[in-house]
Amino acid sequence: MRRLVGMLVFLVVFPAVLLGFAWAAYLAAGALAGLAVGWGLPAAYGAAVANLVFLMLVFLMIASSGLTIGERKWSAMMQNRIGPNRIRVLGNPLGGMPYLVADALKMLTKENIEPSARSKLLYELAPVVAFAPAFALFAVVPVGPEAVVLGQRVSLQVFNPDVGLLYVFAIASLAVFGTALAGWASNNKLAILGGVRASSQMISYEVSLGLSLVGAMMAYGTLRLDQMSVRQGELLWGWLPALGFIVQPLGLVLFFVSAFAETKRAPFDLPEGESEIVGYFVEYPGMKFGMMMLSEFIEIVVLAGVVTAVFFGGWHPVLFEGWLRANLGPVAFAAVGAAAFLGKTMLLAWLQLVIRWTLPRFRFDQIQKLCWKMMLPAALVNVFVTGALVLLDGSLETLAAVGLVEIAVLAGVTAASSRAAPAAAGHGPGDAHAAPAHAAGH
Amino acid sequence: MSTHTPDAPAPRPPPAPLGSQALDAPLDSREMIINLGPSHPATHGTCRLVTRLDGEFIRGMRVDIGFLHRGFEKSCEAVTWGQVFPYTDRLNYVSSTMNNVGFALAVEKLCKLQVPDRAQYLRVIAAELHRICDHLTMVGAMGLELGAMTAFLYAIEARDLMWDRMTELCGARLTSNYVRVGGVARDLPEGWVEKTLATLDRTAELRDTIGALLTRNRIFMDRTRGVAAVSRADAVDWGYTGPCLRASGEPYDVRKAAPYLVYDRLDFDVPVGTRGDNFDRYLMRMEEMVQSDRIVRQCFQGMEPGDIAVRDFRYVMPPKPQVYGTIEGLMAHFKLVMEGIQVPAGEAYGYTEAANGELGFYLVSDGEGRPYKIGLRAPGWPMVASMPAVLKDALLADLVPTFDTFNMIGGEVEQ
Repeated sequence: MRRLVGMLVFLVVFPAVLLGFAWAAYLAAGALAGLAVGWGLPAAYGAAVANLVFLMLVFLMIASSGLTIGERKWSAMMQNRIGPNRIRVLGNPLGGMPYLVADALKMLTKENIEPSARSKLLYELAPVVAFAPAFALFAVVPVGPEAVVLGQRVSLQVFNPDVGLLYVFAIASLAVFGTALAGWASNNKLAILGGVRASSQMISYEVSLGLSLVGAMMAYGTLRLDQMSVRQGELLWGWLPALGFIVQPLGLVLFFVSAFAETKRAPFDLPEGESEIVGYFVEYPGMKFGMMMLSEFIEIVVLAGVVTAVFFGGWHPVLFEGWLRANLGPVAFAAVGAAAFLGKTMLLAWLQLVIRWTLPRFRFDQIQKLCWKMMLPAALVNVFVTGALVLLDGSLETLAAVGLVEIAVLAGVTAASSRAAPAAAGHGPGDAHAAPAHAAGH
Repeated sequence: MSTHTPDAPAPRPPPAPLGSQALDAPLDSREMIINLGPSHPATHGTCRLVTRLDGEFIRGMRVDIGFLHRGFEKSCEAVTWGQVFPYTDRLNYVSSTMNNVGFALAVEKLCKLQVPDRAQYLRVIAAELHRICDHLTMVGAMGLELGAMTAFLYAIEARDLMWDRMTELCGARLTSNYVRVGGVARDLPEGWVEKTLATLDRTAELRDTIGALLTRNRIFMDRTRGVAAVSRADAVDWGYTGPCLRASGEPYDVRKAAPYLVYDRLDFDVPVGTRGDNFDRYLMRMEEMVQSDRIVRQCFQGMEPGDIAVRDFRYVMPPKPQVYGTIEGLMAHFKLVMEGIQVPAGEAYGYTEAANGELGFYLVSDGEGRPYKIGLRAPGWPMVASMPAVLKDALLADLVPTFDTFNMIGGEVEQ
């Protein structure tokens, strides 16, 4: 009962906090843009600085470090446990939040044990190289729409390059260096196994990661994430928003899975494989390990952000959008949009936690088979089909129709396979598996 | 000073014809030896697997056991027959009552003791509850080792409920020390049957949840099916017993083959697998939990009030009022504590179906109050010993779940 009340309170307070945060971010961006103009600099510089602070240093860091607690709490709920509650402030465990401070203190004050046979420079470099790309990825995520705030035209996006998604691919592919270096430089057999697993897995999945988004690029005719978000507000047949997951359902599945593999979390946590090889960071103590762990959580948020921007309508609140746009001021509407974006991002991050705590881990060869034999062909088919449909009809409506059919087929197949009799699916098709057959008395 | 090349270069010899492999640049790869254990998250207890790896493939392995060796067999020679029971608790510490039962049956074989009906039922109930505990641990650990920690915690929740019931029954969570020569230590506490039935219901619920999470999970099936398969002939040759043997298709269960206690009066099935891979071994455990559940419920039905131990003070401690009130009781108590049960001289091999297979006690008595010699057949050892053969050329990632389905328990394998 207490937990139910707590969750209800959370459901009310959390969107309010997001809304307030988004509003503050717009005001700060507008104010700094005005300041920059006053100093004779382009307004975009000021907005970029404000966004850097608000989106990357505040939102990204708080969300990802908060996710470490969220993960512990949510996994506890899934597993009928209570979860972190030993640290209390005035007798209240506060949902485990004080652990944030405790964990940080613990990591920062731990003894710095280093393997004597390490490659000194690379060993120190690896956590930084693992952390930086994950962090930098969020720069291109368009959190909020353009709005005129305090007389300045600003949007909640740190950096809006024309190459957009290509920037995402480029930076994401740098993350592999951190893990590979960590595995190599530790001079530990288990770490090198983890490092090799990580590099092969991440490099493989980059291929399908890239191809899975080509469909979306063609459908929306742009590489820029903010443009994609804008175009998802278009209404198809006058009522259906052209959301990415309707236009590109296959692309969504493929991108989500590939990006999940890039974050190296279960079921793709082979590089870590805590019950087998402990992982590429086995030799890293304290905050150096903390950086690698935090970079995983940052990747979760970034992945959720990119998926939101490309496939879930970006900052469009979707529900009641017309009414909101008509009845709210421009800044208020923009803030609601940004809050909707952040909310969707957190929802997707939560989804990743659920997946991580439900599924077992793949094996090394299976993960490669999944990538090269299933996802890559599927992504290529998606590219060709999308290309043909875009040539046929540039208005997205044909694409959306095909997408709806795809969604129906996917849902149907999933439902059918989960309802198949356990005995029939017990040990592969066409194989009379006799495990539950009984030899009663003999 | 520069050397000038002569204008006519020397004619080159014609290139040798290249084979197909000559164009491949050979990678200078080496095999790597890594130590898994003795303290490694996957080696339950402490076991060291010296593994020779070629990339991720296991090319060779040496199982190094003995880190948990306590000298069980030798220690038993220094204590009376009754004092061996706490030692047996520590063999397979996940299902200690089964070891108690096995040892008690072997001693009673030497003494030619017939144990009262109720005591037999109580032994079966405690043993089957512990079988469920053992299988829950294995199934849960399987999930844990494949990265599905949620399944593990469901199993642990169910096991904890079971252990609470065991605590009420015999006063200890882990090391039950419940069985005595000639009977059991205590009768059921009041209300225990209802509580246990409720616990079994909850356990069945959690077991089904685990099954829903794992059994038909695509990743789980891919990870376990066809991995570390042991053929029926190999399983027999290597001396497998228990669920691992039955998973390979050999329907041997001591409870059916040579019924002891009241197993011949109970209606239960013995699941048998076909392929002997990790998936089958996992399914065996899931199905045996269902059967143990059935057995316990039947025992509650079939049990009648009565003695929980033989009324013979040469074997069983007299009740305390008699010890303090009568000279015969005091003498019997003194003799049992100081000299131990006088087991007739001879040899006996008692074997029971423990959670991991046939648990055998080979006892030699010289007619004194202490064992002359005890030999233990640990059910887990043949499986562990066969690991290098089973896992040859498997992937490193398959080692961990295989180690789990063989369910090596350090306490019994390393004695």
